[in-house]
Amino acid sequence: MTEVYSIDPLIIKTPYEITYKHSYGKTSRFFTALSSGKLMATRCEHCKTTFLPPRSDCPYCLAETKWVEISGKGKIHTFSTLYFSGERFLKDLPFQLVYVDLEGVDTLFLTRLKTKDMKKVKVGMKIRMKISRDPEWRSSDVWAELDE
Amino acid sequence: MPRKVAVVAGGLSYFSKARRDKTQEELAAEAARMALFDNDINLSKDDIDGTIVSYFSDHFENQLLFGSIIQDYLGFNPKPSVRIEGGGATGGLAVRDAYAHVASGLLDVAMVIGFEKMSEVNTAKGNEFIALASDTDWDFPIGGFYSGYYALMAKRHMEEFGTTEEQMAMVAVKNRNNAQHNKFAQTNPKMNPFGMKDGGKITVDDVLKSPYVAFPLKRLDICLMSDGAAVLILASEEKAKKITDTPIWITGTGAGTDAMRAGDRPRTLSGVPILPHEKKEWYKNLEYPGVHSFRAGRESARQAYKMAGITNPLKQLDLIELHDAYTSSEIQTYEDLGLTKYGQGGKLIEEGVTALDGELPVNPSGGLIGTMHAVGATGVMQGVEMFWQLQGVAGKFHGSDKTQIKNAERGLIHSHAGTGTYVTATIMER
Ligand SMILES: [Zn+2]
Repeated sequence: MTEVYSIDPLIIKTPYEITYKHSYGKTSRFFTALSSGKLMATRCEHCKTTFLPPRSDCPYCLAETKWVEISGKGKIHTFSTLYFSGERFLKDLPFQLVYVDLEGVDTLFLTRLKTKDMKKVKVGMKIRMKISRDPEWRSSDVWAELDE
Repeated sequence: MPRKVAVVAGGLSYFSKARRDKTQEELAAEAARMALFDNDINLSKDDIDGTIVSYFSDHFENQLLFGSIIQDYLGFNPKPSVRIEGGGATGGLAVRDAYAHVASGLLDVAMVIGFEKMSEVNTAKGNEFIALASDTDWDFPIGGFYSGYYALMAKRHMEEFGTTEEQMAMVAVKNRNNAQHNKFAQTNPKMNPFGMKDGGKITVDDVLKSPYVAFPLKRLDICLMSDGAAVLILASEEKAKKITDTPIWITGTGAGTDAMRAGDRPRTLSGVPILPHEKKEWYKNLEYPGVHSFRAGRESARQAYKMAGITNPLKQLDLIELHDAYTSSEIQTYEDLGLTKYGQGGKLIEEGVTALDGELPVNPSGGLIGTMHAVGATGVMQGVEMFWQLQGVAGKFHGSDKTQIKNAERGLIHSHAGTGTYVTATIMER
């Protein structure tokens, strides 16, 4: 039965749900490699650029890239603490976002920083990427922790 | 050779957090009626040759092909129409597309119809829809929320250049307080019958004490979410001169782009596209654009300035309507537009240069922080505001003379999407 929210003007409530079957295509390997504890990026041998998130095709050369393992060590490029978010992350609040500058990678990687004391976090601090043992098959299966 | 193109009329709806009194097409009619009947023009609805329809999301209303509903509702069938979508820059891209339609001769008189109704889902769901305009494989699952993305960029700008939260707060105060003289503004409960109850003037202290949404951004650093519509009418030179004695010419337009994931943007030394008044050596030690600057904004300005013959924007522009999604992004954009050197944006607001009575007022309308952000309407609203300002009639429409920039002859409207993924800059002149 239709739920009525207001009579004047007449406002009705309409729920809407959908399930997508989304393919990660050639970047699927990033996620499957995580289960063997490996953090993989892609590299263009033509222009020597390494990408994480991985790109199967180099945007500079349109050459096909190759998979390379990376150390997962890096530094905080910038950070934020979130006290509000989109609907599906409200349950996680507050949480910390960082762009990390990873060894051997030319792009910055957006991830969460898991730390008990956000107040001491500074740009330039060393981090290490961690891999979830309980994969959701999303980019949130990896995150950063301070490397002290 | 493109034809000269003028803006000849503009109209706005009242903006509000929720215009539950009207449907989206009824809001569009409210703005279209103002454009056709409240401007001093010799033009009937039948003289419109086609429309450019500007809206961002199909999700907010769960209705695809809304453009067709608008075209039908406003009675423009069977004339040509096209829908333009480019995130937050939807409106700027639509104005640019209308310019192209008229300049090319495809249309003689074109109506741009911008609108959005964001209130039919709750705020957190609305923020989630907006965040779907970020990479849903990689960025969104981390905690998809635009204020978070902008907070990361703002923090890097602070780190790189020493920009402060106080400087950011000054932007909020300027725009919010300008809006108190504009009857269309959502934060203006005195003049707007649909205005928010807790609107009104604010101080730097109010901003600094407002709660963090995403450090360093606080609630009052962040733009509105709105319901509303904006309509602009463009015409060829020949038609424009018959329609009005005071056409406002579009003399330059530029559009730039950058990577959807801000982290993928290069960090190149000497990577800054240099404007005519700048020197390459200023930026030889700056990694560019990184996540602290909007290369798309710089590129859009570079093209628009070149087309309009602008070699010193601070001196040659009289006002700007700037896409202030965040106080931080207004400061970042001062630099992209070349109003000051990269890194000096915070000083520009501090020195009052962009205040209503400053050398180059920015957002006399109140912008997205004070007036509205009904996404598809936003860039079109900027065009309407600039049109009224350059005609010298802003006071009449706003319901207060305080916002009219005296003797304004040339201005820039700046429309911005994503984390700076699509940006347009358009120059309008008396
Ligand atoms: Zn390459």
